[in-house]
Amino acid sequence: MNAGQIISGTAHVGLLAAAIFGGAFKAEPLPFEVTEVTAISSEEFALLVAPDQEPDALANIDTPEPQEAGQTPDVPVSVEETPPETAQPEVNEATQPAPLPEVEELGPPPQAEVSDEAPVLQPPEEDFAVLLPETSPQPAPQAAPRVAPQPIAQPEPDVRIDDVDQKASEPDEQAEQSEPETEETAQEEASDRIVTEAEKLEAAAPERSVRPKTRPTRAAEAPETQTAQESQTDDDSVQAALQQALGANDGPADSKPSGPPLTAGEKDGLRVAVQRCWNVGSLSSDALATTVIVSVSMAEDGKPVTSTIKLLDSSGGSGSSVKQAFDAARRAIIRCGSKGFDLPIEKYAAWREIEMTFNPERMRIK
Amino acid sequence: MRKWIQCLTAFAILFAAPTLTMAQEREGPLRIEITEGVIEPLPYAIPDMVAETAQSEDLARQISRVIAADLSGTGLFREIPRNAHIARVTNFSSPVQFADWKAINAQALITGGVSVDGSGRLVVRFRLHDVFAGEDIGDGLQLVGTTDGWRRIAHKVADQVYSRLTGEDPYFDSRVVFVAETGPKNARQKQIGIMDYDGENVVYLTGSNSIVLAPRFSPSGNNLLYTSFESGFPKIYLLNIGNLSQQELRTPQGEMSFSPRFGPDGQTVVYSLTSGGNTDLYALNIANGQGQRLTAAPSIETAPSFSPDGSRIVFESDRSGSPQLYIMSSKGGDAQRISFGQGRYGTPVWSPRGDLIAFTKQSKGRFHIGVMRTDGSEERLLTASFLDEGPTWSPNGRVIMFTRETQGAGGRAALHSVDITGRNLRQVPTNTGASDPSWSPLLQ
Repeated sequence: MNAGQIISGTAHVGLLAAAIFGGAFKAEPLPFEVTEVTAISSEEFALLVAPDQEPDALANIDTPEPQEAGQTPDVPVSVEETPPETAQPEVNEATQPAPLPEVEELGPPPQAEVSDEAPVLQPPEEDFAVLLPETSPQPAPQAAPRVAPQPIAQPEPDVRIDDVDQKASEPDEQAEQSEPETEETAQEEASDRIVTEAEKLEAAAPERSVRPKTRPTRAAEAPETQTAQESQTDDDSVQAALQQALGANDGPADSKPSGPPLTAGEKDGLRVAVQRCWNVGSLSSDALATTVIVSVSMAEDGKPVTSTIKLLDSSGGSGSSVKQAFDAARRAIIRCGSKGFDLPIEKYAAWREIEMTFNPERMRIK
Repeated sequence: MRKWIQCLTAFAILFAAPTLTMAQEREGPLRIEITEGVIEPLPYAIPDMVAETAQSEDLARQISRVIAADLSGTGLFREIPRNAHIARVTNFSSPVQFADWKAINAQALITGGVSVDGSGRLVVRFRLHDVFAGEDIGDGLQLVGTTDGWRRIAHKVADQVYSRLTGEDPYFDSRVVFVAETGPKNARQKQIGIMDYDGENVVYLTGSNSIVLAPRFSPSGNNLLYTSFESGFPKIYLLNIGNLSQQELRTPQGEMSFSPRFGPDGQTVVYSLTSGGNTDLYALNIANGQGQRLTAAPSIETAPSFSPDGSRIVFESDRSGSPQLYIMSSKGGDAQRISFGQGRYGTPVWSPRGDLIAFTKQSKGRFHIGVMRTDGSEERLLTASFLDEGPTWSPNGRVIMFTRETQGAGGRAALHSVDITGRNLRQVPTNTGASDPSWSPLLQ
């Protein structure tokens, strides 16, 4: 045992002894409140809980004056009560129990004519999952709480609805003759859906739920063991892709437009701009089943060159329906392109020639 | 080592992909696909036709208005008001200032000239222009007729414009036969009337001394079949529209014969006959008088209607317990049920195109006019009201006319029309109450 351990042991023992005998573990008694009480008898307790004493019966009551002599008091005269005449109800024969009905023996029900052939049922739609009962009551919508005490007037539309698109005139201070002021007008927004009278009255809640789409089928996993031939094929295809990417198979460069391609957003912008003017409302049923591919050359200002609009191909229709479909497509391109489509000029090479496919399949009956 | 090579190859492909895409983008023109459009009336302009003679001024204006009413009445076209026109057409032969019409967004333009020649004949010429393409749609056309028949000429012009713009067959130059109703609901007087499709030129074909029901045109438009209570029981009569001669059809002995309809050959008539409390379908050749019983079921079979090729008949039957629609051969035999929706189906009518069947449906206390495919699929309800019934097809199968009756003791029956898409529901103007319409074929 070395000196350090001795010193440490001595110090610990001393510390414990000081804590135990020095009063470190002595606890003071907890403080408590003292309430003074008074002992009372049961009679005193009964007096304390007894109800208040009733008021004096004679207090604040006026004593009536005595009547004068010879005055007879008003005595209510009793009226001889006569029993009310109650008419006896006439006996109605109809209330008598009805005679027993004649009972006839019913024959067996006639055989219903049933066709042996079962009706051919149409296969259910994929999203035909759960049919809610049509008779379920539609809860009335609750009135929304009104925030403002007074309803405010509907704001005026930004532009007046008219047959013609027209911009408001701006005063030109430098002009010698002031032109008449013109109000900004715009055509009414068109709808892309038809709602029949019968459909308007239908319940707002969906009557069937949409079945979630099934997961895409997994591609068959490749076998773990690859043959040397398959590995060689992969290498070849990689080489071919690299060569194609590097332009090894490209033809003469000057025969194709150059420049960066349009982004997906720019393409979408063009598509939306054209479909806004693609009016299929007056097309026949056959024309609505006809898809046409139309080519058009564009000027640098984004306007289509009208004379270059050509029908490249069509499918699903014939004769006049193709012509109707092409006319509608041509009108859409010319109308919405009359002020130039919003296309980036730096990418003009990418949109100098455009092929538009007009497919009305989703527009047949909406 | 092989792993390193694979990794390098993967990186090379990764970086080469955009280049590859760009290269593909550079090939050929930009391609986009339009699958969504708008459904709105096509705006058109029709300035008053040029009156080329002094006698034709009023006619020129009236003809222009009838053409505009026909086109706008379809709901497929919208006339641009004349006060918005910039250009004025003063000569039918002058070139059209397309820029002026394009400025007011007129997509089609109709110009015309009207004159009355030396022999008092009315001559109407017109052209249809595609404003944005800057060219004519079809050739110019000239129609000649009597001045009294100016409305028919106007309908003919409108038919041409309608067909050229939509690709559909025309239907404006047609007539409608109907039951005109007068008097209170509990004492209605009914007579058969005939009018232009737009409610003009009404002529009554029968008196009002007996109840008449359900007039039906022959395929030629020259004859009518209708049911009359003239004898106290409903009987079927054949009426010649030209000379108003009528004759009762010789049907088998029965209590009631009703609900007749011509076959596409104009000789065969199918109808319902009630005998001994049972109602079945029968066919009758009105040329030789030969008849045939088509159904023999204890249920009620009625409201037969031929397919356009005459091979099949759609009819109404309650053999399943409630009125439903069935199709069978026009020679009779087994029938196939085609309606399976909730409610009661009745008065089926086969479309002239052959692709659809119009019907009346009663469901949840309301009546509907609807259409479905001939196999019962794609049912689509077009209307909904207190009482809609009795559909009839326009000659081109694009529009349906039907009876709508309002509720209550003062309820009145009126004719309405609706496009098969469900758009453009509108009332056909008539001076009296009107029900049971039947649309004629296109006039010759």
